Amino acid sequence: MRPGNFRTIAKREYLARLRSKGFWISTIALPIMMAAWAVLPSLMVAKARTSQKLAVVDRTHLVAELLQTALDDLARRTADQVSFDLELVEPRVDAESQRADLDQRVLDEEIAAWVWIDPEMLAENRVEYHAESVSNFITQQALTGALSVAVQQVRLVESGYDPEIVAELSSTIDLDTVRISEEGSRAEGGLGGFALAFGVFMVLYMTTLIYGQQVMLGVLEEKSSRVVEVLLSTVDPIDLMAGKIAGIGLAGLTQIAIWIATAAVLTAPGVVAIMAFLPAGTELPTLSPILVLHFFLLFILGYFFYATFYAMIGSAFNNPQEAQQMASLAVIFVVLPWIFFLPILNDPDSTLAVVTSLIPIFTPFLMVLRIAVKMPPTWQILLGYFLTTALCVGMIWLCARIYRVGILMYGKKPNLRELWRWVRYA
Amino acid sequence: MTPSLELQAVSKSFGDFTAVDEVSFAVPQGTIYGLLGPNGAGKTTTLRMIMDIIAPDSGLVLLNGHPRCRADLARVGYLPEERGLYRKMTVTDQLAFLAELHGIRRREALPAIESWLGRVELAEWGQRKVEELSKGMQQKIQIIGTVLHDPDLLILDEPFSGLDPINQGLFKDLLADYQRQGKTIIFSTHIMEQAEKLCDYICLVSQGRTILEGELPTMKRRLGSNSYRLVADGDLERIDKVNGVQQALFHDGSAKLLLEPDASGSEVLSELVAFLSVHEFRSQEPDLEEIFIKAVRDATR
Repeated sequence: MRPGNFRTIAKREYLARLRSKGFWISTIALPIMMAAWAVLPSLMVAKARTSQKLAVVDRTHLVAELLQTALDDLARRTADQVSFDLELVEPRVDAESQRADLDQRVLDEEIAAWVWIDPEMLAENRVEYHAESVSNFITQQALTGALSVAVQQVRLVESGYDPEIVAELSSTIDLDTVRISEEGSRAEGGLGGFALAFGVFMVLYMTTLIYGQQVMLGVLEEKSSRVVEVLLSTVDPIDLMAGKIAGIGLAGLTQIAIWIATAAVLTAPGVVAIMAFLPAGTELPTLSPILVLHFFLLFILGYFFYATFYAMIGSAFNNPQEAQQMASLAVIFVVLPWIFFLPILNDPDSTLAVVTSLIPIFTPFLMVLRIAVKMPPTWQILLGYFLTTALCVGMIWLCARIYRVGILMYGKKPNLRELWRWVRYA
Repeated sequence: MTPSLELQAVSKSFGDFTAVDEVSFAVPQGTIYGLLGPNGAGKTTTLRMIMDIIAPDSGLVLLNGHPRCRADLARVGYLPEERGLYRKMTVTDQLAFLAELHGIRRREALPAIESWLGRVELAEWGQRKVEELSKGMQQKIQIIGTVLHDPDLLILDEPFSGLDPINQGLFKDLLADYQRQGKTIIFSTHIMEQAEKLCDYICLVSQGRTILEGELPTMKRRLGSNSYRLVADGDLERIDKVNGVQQALFHDGSAKLLLEPDASGSEVLSELVAFLSVHEFRSQEPDLEEIFIKAVRDATR
């Protein structure tokens, strides 16, 4: 090892990635995709926010007032995300002509919709809702909720309860979900928790594989451009391999750091409007420092393992087509964590979760998932780190031997037996 | 004076195949040394072992009298037969990177890069990517990359293969320049005329073994004593049958006679005049190709 050469190689690889268009395209594209995933529903919510003008014909003369109260309450709880501008219309004797008039007002866009509360229909627990678009799920659900509350109150009063007591007793419950962890409890929505687990798993998985493959392509490029022997005259093959893996890995870390910063901004309070639709008091999951730390450590471990493997494949073959066959072997292993994703998410302490997350080739992906869902016991984390590190060292030893022979070999595609002979050459 | 580079019984096998078999030679300081042999003779493997790209199975490589270590190799300029550049890098970055690998800081390398680019008339191309350059331009950059760190010893594997005539000329000038500065150059080639024109010393290898090694003029004198140039009229067909004549090669109205090692020129001449009218008969230095063919024949005998 010559530290100077290692640094020079790593610097070149790092700058080569950062100067490539691909790096910035993927850096920007992924957060945009993630943001779209998080923001699009909230944009739809924001569209619903312009308070809907709603005409209400209350032929019972009982519900409308309470409906108004219930909707006001909803608007307050959702910070005006969902609000309705109610217009109470006196029922006319000629119901048919009134309904036709209301339809016309909708078509004229005076009102968005009209609601028809009729005693007979109400007895069957039904209320009519007329609008041009009847697929506005969020509006309808909010309205259904408010109507139910209002109707319940009416019925309770009709059964002889004191209206004041009824109003007091029927106040809405807000579910404050709280995640318990050793770092202390903090509020976190169930949906948000899922998003966090999925996010860290996905990002770790993708970056490990993408940057691992970059190493393979980089080695192949040096072979096919015949630059490799020029380098080997001053650089030890191990320095060349290690420098390349480190430089590309640093580019990966840089990208992840950009993403984490972006995520931190995106999930900042008030930015994501969807928050309003989660139960009141919920906070979007924030990336805790301990999770970020484990994320980086696991990325480094997982990346080293797969990058070394890919470097070996790159060195042994002559072009990406040949190498891809061997690389697909790696993909088989890499797909397996997906099978365990949901079971682990549901029960992060199950035997399955513990065992699979301690298998070194899966540890980076599955341990980060477990940490994101529920902090595993420290000994399991340490054991996972230890086993993966040990496997990494073995992998580096094996691959370095194949690498130093392979990078000078052109021509025939080697088979596994020849690869093993190379291991014993060095 | 200690040789710039010395190989002592260096061997390398790949499985059952012996690529280099106890090759030894010494390269004196300040000479141009040619490593000659047909393709597959083990030249590239030998040079790779000198550069520590392949580890020899046995034998020693000495640089300036000491077993060479990797750090010494930063003072060597190596141009492999399989050579190339990073396509996506700019010319200046590429050269600065190669300089850094030889232990020169980027800052210090930049003026040298600029002056070299000026010298090969590529001053405008410093910020362009390598892939935008023509093949000839890329060859120039490759040559600059080999000498940028001002090495004391140049090791060039088939340096002229694939070079266009302009770059061949450029390279030859550079080598002459280097020799004037007292630097040592080793190059391998399978083209004998090239070696003959450039080299002071040669080492002939065939099938992984050294066949001949030494100073070129001495070698020619030693091996050339039994070759004669003959200009004559008459029954030229009979020359072959004269006692002591190994082979007669006809060329442009003259013949080159290769005699048996122990045959005497004057005896052969006295037989020749019996059936030829001889205009010219004189001892001649053989060219390298003849030496080589003869040496290989002797070695396999």
